[in-house]
Amino acid sequence: MNMHSHGGARKGAGRKKNSGSFKEETKVLRVPISLVDSITPSIEMYKSQIKSGVEVLLTKNNATELLIPIFTSRVQAGFPSPADDHLEDTLDLNTHLIHHQEATFFVKAQGDSMIGAGIHQGDILIVDKSLTPKSGKIVIAVVDGEFTVKRLHKYKGNITLKAENPEFENIKIRGTDELIIWGVVTSVIHQYD
Amino acid sequence: MTSRAKFALVDCNNFYASCERVFEPKLEGRPIVVLSNNDGCIIARSNEAKALGIKMGVPYFKVRDLIVRNGVVVKSSNYPLYGDMSSRVMRVISQYSPIQEVYSIDESFIDLAGLPFHLRNHMQSLRQKVKSWTGVPVCVGIGSTKVLAKLANRIAKKYIKFNGVFDIDELPYERYCKLLQSVEVVDLWGIGRQSARKLNRIGISSSYDFYQADIGVIETLLGVNGKKVYQELYGNSCVPIESIPPTRQQIVSSRSFGSDLKDFHELNQALTSLARKAVNKLNDHKLATTTITVFIYTNPHKKNKTCIHLSKTVGMTTAIQDESQLIPLIAKILKLIYKPGYSFYKGGIVLSNLVKNYPQQDLFLTNEDNQRKIDSTNKSNAIRSVNKRFNESLKYASEVGNDKWKPRADFRSNRYTTSWTELLVI
Repeated sequence: MNMHSHGGARKGAGRKKNSGSFKEETKVLRVPISLVDSITPSIEMYKSQIKSGVEVLLTKNNATELLIPIFTSRVQAGFPSPADDHLEDTLDLNTHLIHHQEATFFVKAQGDSMIGAGIHQGDILIVDKSLTPKSGKIVIAVVDGEFTVKRLHKYKGNITLKAENPEFENIKIRGTDELIIWGVVTSVIHQYD
Repeated sequence: MTSRAKFALVDCNNFYASCERVFEPKLEGRPIVVLSNNDGCIIARSNEAKALGIKMGVPYFKVRDLIVRNGVVVKSSNYPLYGDMSSRVMRVISQYSPIQEVYSIDESFIDLAGLPFHLRNHMQSLRQKVKSWTGVPVCVGIGSTKVLAKLANRIAKKYIKFNGVFDIDELPYERYCKLLQSVEVVDLWGIGRQSARKLNRIGISSSYDFYQADIGVIETLLGVNGKKVYQELYGNSCVPIESIPPTRQQIVSSRSFGSDLKDFHELNQALTSLARKAVNKLNDHKLATTTITVFIYTNPHKKNKTCIHLSKTVGMTTAIQDESQLIPLIAKILKLIYKPGYSFYKGGIVLSNLVKNYPQQDLFLTNEDNQRKIDSTNKSNAIRSVNKRFNESLKYASEVGNDKWKPRADFRSNRYTTSWTELLVI
């Protein structure tokens, strides 16, 4: 039924399909304002990639940074990986070894007075300053202004800093000594040569 | 009136000296001073050093005798250490209030309004936690405005009997007036030297004079900011907490050189190194720059020599965000301003008109140019990652030289918390 023989849209008028900067169909998308800053650079980069015809490799600056996988959308061929549903975070030693980030310090061990506790010369100790020093814990202590690493023993009000090597003397704390427990050693990192 | 505002100012006690003591406990009780970049002036003192009469900002050489005679411990400033310790302290503080403003490297305002705690006990527990987690001692001032909280902090620091926490709103009116009489107006938060001079001229010298003055006089003299301080002294909160730091307006990277530089290449070497520092900051804040200033000075304190101050600012059509573009530009600008025959003692660069670093399209560039730009960004990123991991081992050619420019830091302690090779050894 030809109601009108003129007027309306003319065939072939307007912008050609897929002629924009992306060379493919585009879609309008609602994006939360807070994400605009993180999404725009990827789109801009994709644009310049198409324009120059060369694939851009992103260098990842920060391991915790989330990259929006816009580049993967072009890969459509092939079977989906059967492991896709089972993807989990990779293991992060930081979360395993550090529980109070603000209070955790690394120090280097010197000497072998604690060899029985597995602390060797040059090992790195992970020290948590936030923990209460209980009897039996390995601690970083400050005796009269000097640092030492020893096992803390408290018994009936007597405090002893015990070495874990028979060749070393224990330190008995007398009333006049000034003792500060600087932190509690939670792990030791021993690297083999 | 809405529910009463309540703020706390948490301030670290002699922050730089305290950081040094965390890793050198035998310095406890001994006088310590910390020197500025290039070991020039005294920028921080422990209580013991203050008691000896060593003033803030004096050149080190002027008090060297006093320092040696009294066994004062001298430290070059160790900003990597102070910065890391600061962020630890700030994160612990943030556990005590949902709203926090990090005001400076060692001060933080927090909002206490509506918290269901006994505030003084809450702040005592903050104090203990910061001390036990980081080793840094802090004092807390509480008040219904920021100006009052700052004032309260002074009291908390000054009088041991308050145990480091003081709430100024608990002070009876007469005692409050007495307190204001004992504080000079220049020591109020928000009153600068310039404003104080204006106030002194009309006979206002103590905070109490200021408090008793007419609000109209204050406003005409100091404008709206002075009026805000005035009203805050009366307990009306006018300055809210800024929990989101404002975006940076400019990045400055400058140094006094370790020794005076005459040679163009030595200057260029120093500026290249400073440029890389500035670009790192630029990238940390995800910004790019469109305006670059390069400046070099001769020493204004030297007698019988004319002091010259050379600088040039250049604007660009596209924003720059990586050093491979910036470094050649800086060399070009330096070539324009450099004059032979002078000894330059300080220099630096300023990046301004900062914009978000979206990859920008330059209309006048061809595809190849664009590609080259992308390549250079990738290259710079790679260099930066290598340097982060391997302790500044990659350098630009213009950076290599005799290191004469490097600022002096003869008494720097280790970067205990940011460098694997400088850990505390026990």
